[in-house]
Amino acid sequence: MTIDKALWMPLIFAFLCLIPSPKRITRLTFIAGAVISAIGAWGFVFGASWSPRVFAFNGNLMMDALSAVFALLITGVGVLSAVYAGGYLFKEGDGSISPLRLRRYACFFHLFLFTMLLTVFSNNLGIMWIAIEGTTLASAFLVNVDDKKSSIEAAWKYLILCSVGISLALFGIILVYYSAIAQAASGESGLLLNWTFLLSKAKQLDPQVLRLAFIFILVGYGTKAGLAPFHSWLPDAHSQAPAPVSALLSGVLLSCATLGILRFHILTKAATGSAFSDTLLIFFGVLSVVVATPFILEQKDYKRLLAYSSVEHMGLAAAGLGFGGALGLYGAILHIMNHAFTKSLLFFSSGHLYYLFHSKEIADVKGLLRKNAFLGIIFFLAALAIAGMPPFSIFVSEFLILSAGFLGGKYISCAVLLLFLALIFVGFLRHASRMTLGGPNTNQSKQSGDWGRPNYHFGKEIKSLGGSEEPPKVERSLLMDSVLVVGMIVILTMGFYIPGPLNALIQAAGRIAGGTIL
Amino acid sequence: MSAEFMASLIHFLGMMLLIASFWILVSSQIGACIRAYATHSFLLALITAVVAWSQHIEHLIIPALLTLALKTIVIPHVFFRIIRRLGIRKEVESYINIPFSLLLAVLLVFISFYATGEGRFLKPAAFGEFIPLAISTVFFGMLMMTTRKKAISQVLGLLLIENGLFLMAITMTFGMPLLVEMGIFFDVLIAVMIMGLFVFKIRDAFEGIDADDMTVLKG
Repeated sequence: MTIDKALWMPLIFAFLCLIPSPKRITRLTFIAGAVISAIGAWGFVFGASWSPRVFAFNGNLMMDALSAVFALLITGVGVLSAVYAGGYLFKEGDGSISPLRLRRYACFFHLFLFTMLLTVFSNNLGIMWIAIEGTTLASAFLVNVDDKKSSIEAAWKYLILCSVGISLALFGIILVYYSAIAQAASGESGLLLNWTFLLSKAKQLDPQVLRLAFIFILVGYGTKAGLAPFHSWLPDAHSQAPAPVSALLSGVLLSCATLGILRFHILTKAATGSAFSDTLLIFFGVLSVVVATPFILEQKDYKRLLAYSSVEHMGLAAAGLGFGGALGLYGAILHIMNHAFTKSLLFFSSGHLYYLFHSKEIADVKGLLRKNAFLGIIFFLAALAIAGMPPFSIFVSEFLILSAGFLGGKYISCAVLLLFLALIFVGFLRHASRMTLGGPNTNQSKQSGDWGRPNYHFGKEIKSLGGSEEPPKVERSLLMDSVLVVGMIVILTMGFYIPGPLNALIQAAGRIAGGTIL
Repeated sequence: MSAEFMASLIHFLGMMLLIASFWILVSSQIGACIRAYATHSFLLALITAVVAWSQHIEHLIIPALLTLALKTIVIPHVFFRIIRRLGIRKEVESYINIPFSLLLAVLLVFISFYATGEGRFLKPAAFGEFIPLAISTVFFGMLMMTTRKKAISQVLGLLLIENGLFLMAITMTFGMPLLVEMGIFFDVLIAVMIMGLFVFKIRDAFEGIDADDMTVLKG
């Protein structure tokens, strides 16, 4: 397994999915594609033959520990999402999607995975830009699967805003290239945009120009990463996309864009030797958490709630990268990973919710535990996890990021973060308990004050697991349920124990983010 | 070929490029807008060719030819097909009127000349006078994206931004590496196709292509 093979896999399956065939076969190809790509990538990453760096394609592609972590994420969430979509979009009966659309969906899904893998594996900063623009183009059709008014609007905003953002990033890349050309020796012209080459010559680059470039990159890729105040496309696209796509967008697409920022952050830090980029990252990180909070507290749509929570967590990760130090960088990378799995689990359960209640309004979802105990438990626990409740994994990484901040003497930022994280915790708890606990959704219960004794109902429901009085009328898909269970197991275990090789990988990634030149 | 002639040729092309950018902004008909964009791209291709020729950078010939083929011929052609199929001949609708946007544009040109003047940050070896032009082209594109109502005009604004960045890359660094340059062309082409498709979807769903009708999603 090499980098090229890991990249070819999703590309080949993208076109295999287009072959006209019965729905069943398309679904098989679609899921098998994601699984095979994942096995390939995971095997490659944990097969120890590549460390510390492996190059391909004339040095334009490269894998180090940092890209390895992100490749694990992309393929891992990719498999979960593909399996979930296998149950969610490929269902039979009413409201099912035509086979042609499904094939197109499957194709774009794999193209999306391909562009994201290309993003993390590119060493050439120009190719990384092309790949990130490619992710926008590939996922625009995934956001708009059903051609509804709101989906088209969301997809259009997504396309336009992210394209403009990305073009600013291109400006930053031109500036970096310009500063490299000024110092280039002859015969190196092919290497000048290569990240590894630039990093080894970082001291000779013009720090002024690099600072300017970093601002443009931060705004450009920050748009894609959902950092406030450039996040306005994010809640729309995340809420309108089908659940498996929202999971991919929120879990890994934002992370990929963050990796783009991180690569430039490392470069800028090495070139300027100052905390300029750290300060910017902390500022926009904290701002994102602050901006997301009121929208989380007062949210009426549960998918938008999850979307704003992504803004918050990306902000937290950016702040962690800015706090720096071995602890902060390790915490930030771990946080990106934990957020990817927890948030995709929540988006998957939002797909279940939409099936059960046919509404995205929080107010319409009541008595989830009574209606469907399995989903109720998973959703409630996952909501606690995303809000930062121990023993789930997000708590660990949030704790690490905040301790790094205190160690680094960034008391004000940390205090602001703590305050707003507490508010968000309360907000999430309130929304989640309203949705899961309480009586079922009838008009009487609102008036007769049934709300006063949710605890009583809660106790009763636990005994009547399975819901014999009100059987869910939805066809249960084993595929979809198993994804929820697997996701839950992942976020619970990651809270207690990170497997040795993975931990070593994240630590190595943290060292690279700290600017260690291998 | 004297250096004096080269200098005046470059000045001339730069002036024409600026005029073409203004033309895009003041055109009140979408068709004229597209023609102005084609002219802008044509001048861009000429400038690229002149840079390639005067600096003896052979690999720049390929981006020049691609600009000529894609941005001067293919993309405007796609746009004309789209507006023909949409059946719009109407005026370009804007949140601010054309004289005012002209005023803003002049202001933006001043800002970009001021911000990049005197080699504040950037001191390229040659063709320094193109940098403010490139930046003002990017500004014009943004102005167009923020003030125009029609979805098509927004796409044109995006392409104008891209033209500005291309000019920036050509004159500051004599173009990006060829591989990257090709990738960017590929992305732009795909982006135009996809956005074109979405324009039709918007027309079908919203019964018009006014982007400001799209106000379903809030909060």
